[in-house]
Amino acid sequence: MKKFFLFLLMIMTSSNIFAHKVTIFAYVVGETVYTESYFSDGTKVKDGEIVVYDRQGNKLLEGKTDKDGLFNFKLPKKDELRIELNATMGHKASYILSFDEIPKEVIEKSEKANIKKTNEEKITQVNLKQIKNIIDDSLDEKLKPVMQQLKKIEEKRISFTEILGGIGYILGLMGIIMYFLSKKKEG
Amino acid sequence: MHISDGVVPTSVWIGSYVVTIGISTICAKKMKAEDMPKMAVMTSAFFVASLIHVPLGPTSVHLILNGLVGIILGPLSFISILVGLTLQSLLFQHGGITVIGVNTITMGIPALFSWKIFNLSQKFRFRLSKIVFGVIAAAFSVFLGTILLSIFLITSGSKFIPVAKYAALAHLPIMIIEGIITGFVISFLMKVKPEILKRG
Repeated sequence: MKKFFLFLLMIMTSSNIFAHKVTIFAYVVGETVYTESYFSDGTKVKDGEIVVYDRQGNKLLEGKTDKDGLFNFKLPKKDELRIELNATMGHKASYILSFDEIPKEVIEKSEKANIKKTNEEKITQVNLKQIKNIIDDSLDEKLKPVMQQLKKIEEKRISFTEILGGIGYILGLMGIIMYFLSKKKEG
Repeated sequence: MHISDGVVPTSVWIGSYVVTIGISTICAKKMKAEDMPKMAVMTSAFFVASLIHVPLGPTSVHLILNGLVGIILGPLSFISILVGLTLQSLLFQHGGITVIGVNTITMGIPALFSWKIFNLSQKFRFRLSKIVFGVIAAAFSVFLGTILLSIFLITSGSKFIPVAKYAALAHLPIMIIEGIITGFVISFLMKVKPEILKRG
């Protein structure tokens, strides 16, 4: 009996497939994309498969979430990305990281690298660039909690009104059916 | 036990819709006005059950209650589950709109089986026979659900045996909990309102 319970505990700790809905949320800081995956009751998706596609649907990279449901990767392309999460037992979710969500600096940086500058311009550019980088770094640091807050807002919890609303729908529907059934009886 | 949108191929979910509508129309013929209040109560119970998370060890499981719905509603349970799942997918985003058919089959067919199993308690009468068969019916309907779920997941490219094993083991605590809950509900109904169980 003891062994059985131990076994039961093992199954339950190794996976989480009981919750119904999975959600994946992604945000960009610098050139790194951070993703977080969780089930509707708040538990993290462990060892969930993550596949990243570009706008055309080509597979760019894949990976697995860690024990906290996190998975980070370097921005593979400066374009819209579709991040798909495949948790076990038919649970699937995706997040579209739109072009607007990628910081402008990252895009500009790669574009500017191609343009040649004159010497004079370069000096001012370098200084400006250094300042910009410092600001960017500290901003990223400071914005991280804000992004996490945003993520929490995205994480839509089921509200009491929705539950009551659903029960209301059921009662209404059954009432309508009852009305028609009782009419049939009379006629 | 809900499958999400985009897991099973299009042909499968369209086929499931057709099967679901077919079974529902057959079941709808048995609908009577006096069954409606019972059906509303059970549909609400099923609708809310998936939100009740029972903390169990490091994780939490949630109830399905398709066995109990089957026992009390009989053939109407299939329609009740269809309505419950539709509202769950619209309001809670559990499962998805395209896979309502698929999910209704995985949870509704076991409910019908559970009704048939519970009916056996009228053939084999002994003390507590209703409770015993009720508990078996509830646990079996969760188990059958995992089998049907595994069959659907084959179409998305999974292999049957490992998936079925995994799903059945993972739902083991739910089978036990639902068996206990159903046992208590039946024993309560036998004392308070035995006529509810008569037809079912």
